[in-house]
Amino acid sequence: MSEQIHDQVSAFIDDELSAEECAFLVRRFERDPASRSKFVRYSMIGSALRGELLQPDPDMLRRRIHDALNGSPSAVRPAAASPPPQRKVEHARWASPAVGLGLAASVAVAALFVVREMNSTDGASEAATPLMSTVVPADASPSPRVVAPLPPIRLTNYLLHHGEYARLSRTSVHSTVIGSMEQPFMMNAVMIDDAPPQIEGEAR
Amino acid sequence: MIPNGSAWTSVSCALLAFVMLDAHAQDAREWLARMNRAVEELNYEGTFVHVRGNYSETLHIIHRNHNGRISERLVSRDGAGREFIREEDVVKVILPEERLVVIETRKDQGRLASALPSYCAELEPHYEFTVGRGTRVANRPVNVVTIKPKDEYRYGYTLYLDRETAMPLKSLLLNERGEVIEQIVFTQIQISDFIPASALHPAIDTEGFQFLEPEASHADDRPIETPEWRASTLPPGFRLSAATQSAIAGSEYPVSHLVYSDCLATVSVFIEDPKTSADVAEGFSSAGSTNAYSRKLNGRSATVIGEVPRQTVRTIALSLTAE
Repeated sequence: MSEQIHDQVSAFIDDELSAEECAFLVRRFERDPASRSKFVRYSMIGSALRGELLQPDPDMLRRRIHDALNGSPSAVRPAAASPPPQRKVEHARWASPAVGLGLAASVAVAALFVVREMNSTDGASEAATPLMSTVVPADASPSPRVVAPLPPIRLTNYLLHHGEYARLSRTSVHSTVIGSMEQPFMMNAVMIDDAPPQIEGEAR
Repeated sequence: MIPNGSAWTSVSCALLAFVMLDAHAQDAREWLARMNRAVEELNYEGTFVHVRGNYSETLHIIHRNHNGRISERLVSRDGAGREFIREEDVVKVILPEERLVVIETRKDQGRLASALPSYCAELEPHYEFTVGRGTRVANRPVNVVTIKPKDEYRYGYTLYLDRETAMPLKSLLLNERGEVIEQIVFTQIQISDFIPASALHPAIDTEGFQFLEPEASHADDRPIETPEWRASTLPPGFRLSAATQSAIAGSEYPVSHLVYSDCLATVSVFIEDPKTSADVAEGFSSAGSTNAYSRKLNGRSATVIGEVPRQTVRTIALSLTAE
């Protein structure tokens, strides 16, 4: 994944690409499932490490992609008179409310591609990495309520922090954090049983 | 009544068994204490393979103790070559594919070290220990310490410890059914008297990378004398070992962090400030052997995370209450 493409994707979500650039980018991902899948993975993991939270609007994004593919000007900006602004590398801070809209935007694209792949019925394209799995684990106990899967947000940050306190498992935890992430946090939709479990033991 | 010969034999056997079990526990206690010291205090450099299920990764580790100042560098040999570097109170994660450096700082490692679990007598009702003589790992003779949980709330371990230094050269993590779910195996290790500071420098040129770090004012963990939250139901043997207000990367406000431990397994509870948007959905998640359970709690998001079985994080999460 070249930096240029990464920037273009972020610019796309921020509505900073011209209609032609937008269509080009979308077609590129349509043609190159491996690149798309890789981008999804990197974006989501990067987002988790950055702790960005984003609730993408798949419908809006889907409409814009559809319009871009069909050349409709309704949902994309007119061709920009000047090239899209280059994203500058800057020294960001965690505590800043907006760590970087462009970076957050890249997550929206990642989520969008997951949504698109999940909704795809033609089976022509390779499925993106299912970072947001909706599989109910076999060993989940049945209960009255089903909730949405937890996106891989903040968990890596928590894991990094927790690792400092995990004496015996610390190496394992750190290795998980910097692993090549072929197996990142897997989120599962689960049946939630709100009744607190009973334990034969002490309560502190 | 004076016991007859057969009764004496039975009593003697029982006593012998008790003494042997106690000797095992005593041996294990000594080996685990030595292991804890070895991991922190030795200078070593080596390559290990981390296996989780069908997935494996090769990593290189450099651990330096220079007059009590500990630094460590962990490099993934696969993928883009991510690096984890700890130099005293600064932890860096370098993500070359993202051109990103994540920085966490800890201003008081002494306090952190005192909160870390270590071998304690309270372990013994909850685990069974054995010590045996192994063969070799990474071309070094080892002893094998097995730690078997007595209930389903914690994982078991099989540790292959260097016979000379007690450094763990191979460790197996076993789930509540006794199945190996994770392995860390050194393929090569060099234990030496001195490692130069230059060995801790990242191999990646981070010029032009984005650096993300907490605000300086939030950079240290502040202990909480009286935690606002507590787990009302804990699996047997787990105790609160630390409570802090922590700066967590990505959280705009300090996060309440409770650490529960049975002296071996550690579970963290993170409760976000109510001003943070409560966007955490409820349920399980996992990465390798780490399980997490998240829920909403009076408008806050709470996540329990640890290298323990799923039901342990769930049990703690569902029993969280305000004091």
